[in-house]
Amino acid sequence: MPIEALFDLLIIGLVRGGMYVLMAMGLTLILGVINVPNFAHGEFYMLGAYFAYFASVFLRIPSILVIAVAALGGFISGMIIEKAVFYPLRRRSEGKNWLLNSFLLTVGLSITLQNLALWLIGSDYRGITSYWGGSLSIGGLMISQDRVIGFIIAMVSVLIFWLFLTRTKTGNSIRAVSENARGAKLVGIDLNRIYTLTFGLGAMMASIAGATLLSINPAYPTMGLRPLFRSWFVVILVGLGNVGGTIIGGFIVGLLETASYYGLGSGWQDVVSLTVIIFILIFKPSGLFGKAVKGIWEQ
Amino acid sequence: MNNNTTNNPKEKRDNENRVRESGSANKTVANDTVSTGKAGGTIAGSAGKTGGINELLGKIGLGPLSLLAFVLLGLAPLFIDDRFIIHLMISGMIFGTLAMGFDFTVGYINIVNFGYAAIMGVGAYSSALTVSRLGMSPWLGMAIGGVMAAIMGFLIGVVTLRLRGLFAAVMAWFVGLTLLAMTANLVDLTRGWLGLRVRPLFATPDRIPYFYTIFVITVVSYIILYRLTQGKMGMAFKAIGQNQEAAHSVGVNSTKYKIINFTISCALAGVVGGFYGHFVGILTPDVMHTRETVEVLALAYIGGRGSIWGGLLAAFIIIPIFEYLRPLMAMRFVIYGLLLMLVMILYPGGLSQFFAFIKAQIFNRSSKVEERA
Repeated sequence: MPIEALFDLLIIGLVRGGMYVLMAMGLTLILGVINVPNFAHGEFYMLGAYFAYFASVFLRIPSILVIAVAALGGFISGMIIEKAVFYPLRRRSEGKNWLLNSFLLTVGLSITLQNLALWLIGSDYRGITSYWGGSLSIGGLMISQDRVIGFIIAMVSVLIFWLFLTRTKTGNSIRAVSENARGAKLVGIDLNRIYTLTFGLGAMMASIAGATLLSINPAYPTMGLRPLFRSWFVVILVGLGNVGGTIIGGFIVGLLETASYYGLGSGWQDVVSLTVIIFILIFKPSGLFGKAVKGIWEQ
Repeated sequence: MNNNTTNNPKEKRDNENRVRESGSANKTVANDTVSTGKAGGTIAGSAGKTGGINELLGKIGLGPLSLLAFVLLGLAPLFIDDRFIIHLMISGMIFGTLAMGFDFTVGYINIVNFGYAAIMGVGAYSSALTVSRLGMSPWLGMAIGGVMAAIMGFLIGVVTLRLRGLFAAVMAWFVGLTLLAMTANLVDLTRGWLGLRVRPLFATPDRIPYFYTIFVITVVSYIILYRLTQGKMGMAFKAIGQNQEAAHSVGVNSTKYKIINFTISCALAGVVGGFYGHFVGILTPDVMHTRETVEVLALAYIGGRGSIWGGLLAAFIIIPIFEYLRPLMAMRFVIYGLLLMLVMILYPGGLSQFFAFIKAQIFNRSSKVEERA
C-alpha cells in the first residue's frame, strides 16, 4: 500500500473515530452513573440530527449555533425522558434486576422515539448540503471542511466535558455517584438530580454527534442503529464505565472500520469489527483496559 | 445504589415472586393443586371428577384452559372463512411461537437473546437454500433450518458461558448483527438485499394447510417448552437465572443447562424461521434485523416473563388489534413501545400475571388455598 493511501486511511479513520468517541462517551457515562445500558442512545443521535435540520432550515442562524441548538435540545429531551421514564422505574424497583429492566425500558423508548419521528416527520431523508462548505488540503489529501470542523467540534466537546467532570463541583458529584452511589448520598449529593443531569449530558453528546454529521448523513427515523451499536462496540472494547478509555477506543474503532472498508469493500466493515468484538468478549470480557468485571455488571 | 434494599422490600419481592410463579403455573393450577394433595381437600369437590383427565393432561403439559384454547384455535378454520383472518392467525402463531422460545431463555435463565431474529433468519435461509440448491423437500428444509439454528444457539451458548446478563445480551446482539451483515454481503449465496425467492411449502394458494402446519409447530413447542420448564430442568434454569453462583454451589451444572437452554430456544426459532420463509415466499436480510427481535421481545414481555404462554396470548391479542386499527397504522409502533415501557414500569408481571389475578378473583377459594400454601 502506498504511503499516501495509508495517510488517507489515517485521516478518515480519525475523523470517523472522533464521532464514535463522542457517542461512546455519553453512553459510558449513562452506564457508569445511572447503570442504564442505553439501547436508545442512537435515538438521541437521531434527535440531534433533526434538531439541527429544523434549526438550520427555519431559524437561519450560523452553523455553530445550529449545533448548539441541537445540543441544548438533546440535553433537555434527555432530562425530560429521565424524569418521565427512569425515575418511576427506580422508585418502583428495589435495585433487583434494575439492569435488565432498565435495558428493556430503553428498548421500549427506542421503538417509541423512532416511530414517533416516523409518524410526525415521515421517513424522508432530511439533510443539508453543507454547514461550512469547501474543502481543505491536508498533506495532499482533499478533505471537506465540514469533516474537519466536525472533528474539531467533537474534540472540543470531549475536552469541555472532561474539564466539567474533573474541575467542577457538579462534575465531581457525578463521578462520586458513579463510584459509590450510597456514599455520595451520605455526603449529601442529591442522587435524583445527578441522575437526571447525567442522562441529559449523555443524550447531549449523542445529539452533538448527530447534528455535526448532518451534512454527511441526512436525518431519518431509524438512523440511530448504526451509531448505537458502534458506540456499544467502543464501550465493550475498552471496558464498561471507563470514560477515559473511550477516547482511545473510539479512534481504534474508527481506524479499524476504515481499514476493513478499504481492504474488503463496503459492507464488510461491520463483519470485521463485530468479529473483533466477539473475540474480545470471549477472551477478555472486561475490555482492553478494564479491570475485572464486578458489582452490578456481574448480574 | 442497589444496596439500599432493606429486609422489608425483600419480603415484598418474595411475595411478588410467589405471585409470579403462581402466574406462570396458572394454566395448570387446578390440576397441580389436586395432585399435590395438600390443597386437594379444599377444591377436590369441584375438580375431583376430572382429576384423572387433568392428571393425564398434566403429563403432556396441558391444563384444561390451555387445551380448550388450543382446541378452539384448531377448529377456528372450520368456522372462519375469511382468508385475512386466517392469515392473521398464522402471523399470530409465528410471532407467538417465537415469543415462547424467547421467553424460554429470558424468563428462566434471565438472559436476553438479542440476536433471536438473526437465529430465526439462519433457520429461514438454511431451509430456503437447501430447498433451492439441493432440491430437497421443504419439510426436510425446515428440519435442517432447525438444526442449523440449534448449532448457532449451541455456539452462542458456548461463547456466552463466561458472560452474565447484560454482557451475554450484548454478545448475542453482536452475533446477530454479524449474521445479518454476512447474509447481506454473501450475495452469491443469499442474493443479499435483492431478496431470495423461496419455494412455498404447499402447491396450493390456500392458507389452511399453512395454518395447520404452524398450529402443530405451536402446540408441540408449547408442550415441549412447558414440560421442560416444569420439571427438574426448569428448576435448574430458574436457579441459574436468579443466582448463578448459588446454583453452582448446590450442584447445578450451569454450563450444561445454559447451553441446553440456548440450543432448544434457537432450534425452535430455526424451525419457525424455516416455516416463515416457505410461507412468505421471499426472504431479505431484514428478517434478521434487530427490530424483529425487539418485536418478539415486546410480545414476550407484554405477555409476562417466565410464563411461556404469555407471549403467545400477547401475539394473539396485539397482532389482530394492530391490523384492525388501520387508522392508527402509523402510530402502532409508538403504541407498542409505550406499551412495553408501561408494562416494564407499572406491571412487570405482564398479561400472565393479570390473568392469574383474574383467576384468583373468580376462584376465590383456590386463591386462598394458595395464600396459605
